[in-house]
Amino acid sequence: MKSDVEACRGLDATALAQSRAESLVLAYQTKIARFLRRMVGDAEVALDLTQDVFLSAYRLLAADPRRELTPGWLYRAATNAGISHLRRKKILRILPLDREVDRPCASLRTWRVDEQSVASVDLQAALARLNADQAAALLLTSYAGYSSSEAAGILGTTADAVRQRVCRAMRTLRSTMREGTE
Amino acid sequence: MRVAPECLSAERLAGAIALGEATDAERGRYRAHLARCARCLDQLGGEREIERVMITVAHARDDERWEPRLAGARAARRGVRAAGIATAVAALLVLVVAVSWGERPKTPTHLRAPLSAAESRALAALDTQTFAAPAGRAESLTVGASTISASLRVTVDGRGVPLRCTIAKSSGDRALDAAICRAALHARVPSAATGR
Repeated sequence: MKSDVEACRGLDATALAQSRAESLVLAYQTKIARFLRRMVGDAEVALDLTQDVFLSAYRLLAADPRRELTPGWLYRAATNAGISHLRRKKILRILPLDREVDRPCASLRTWRVDEQSVASVDLQAALARLNADQAAALLLTSYAGYSSSEAAGILGTTADAVRQRVCRAMRTLRSTMREGTE
Repeated sequence: MRVAPECLSAERLAGAIALGEATDAERGRYRAHLARCARCLDQLGGEREIERVMITVAHARDDERWEPRLAGARAARRGVRAAGIATAVAALLVLVVAVSWGERPKTPTHLRAPLSAAESRALAALDTQTFAAPAGRAESLTVGASTISASLRVTVDGRGVPLRCTIAKSSGDRALDAAICRAALHARVPSAATGR
């Protein structure tokens, strides 16, 4: 049986974990959700994945309330969740029951309605054509504002590899914009 | 398609330019490569082209107006999940009712006619009826309408009242044998009194 002191310590640890998890959610939920929305091209999925990311963070904090969870950790978790989703979706795309919203052209329509921004539409259409690693590199650097070396740390690769992925993503973006203007 | 090492290097330089991380020396190397590689010029574009494309990303980021509402999404999903569960339960109920209706034992034709008093008494003696006799059906007898047979020997007195019952050939179930005998002991055999 736990002593009173141990129980109080446990309570403090739980309260501390909750408080730190809440601060993380308040500070980063919008950024992470937007990042994931750009990555997967579907707001509902992005919200689901965002929840998963913060749930993982909460579990880690519950296990060790003193653990330091940096924004980089959150973006790494979000990137991994996004990449996993995109790879799953790629497999599911062979099935005819693919959801309408997940197709690039449908995604164009969806984004035109809620953002009214041609730039945004172009970006989303281009992102839908990228492979998961390229999309992650482009979004971490140009969207989340990380340098290539920081993004490399998040993605577990080298800065040169990140620059190369950004370049290839940019090439796809460029050709998408060209198609849009033709 | 195999890409030349210089072109791979140019891709990394273009990435650095796109991210605003390229030094002047790197920009110079990129320009020098484009001057002799038409393919890279076509596919990657010059420095200004790269910057123009990347501005699109910056505009998209700055134009972002979507405000995620995680709690709302969670509540909505919970609602959807609750509706899903309710639908599943309803479907399960319908299925169970349909299956039990379909599997409900059909009353054999010979039992659909009203039972005689003697038959009712005999059936009541079996103690296996599942609902009251007034319904006029011995539903329990129809469960698994397979035929079970047993032979019994009943000794009756001169008034036709059964005195003793022995099982000559068992039905395979001792309880059923006992019930059959109990029913037989409750029966009356008028032909024994009249000698017929």
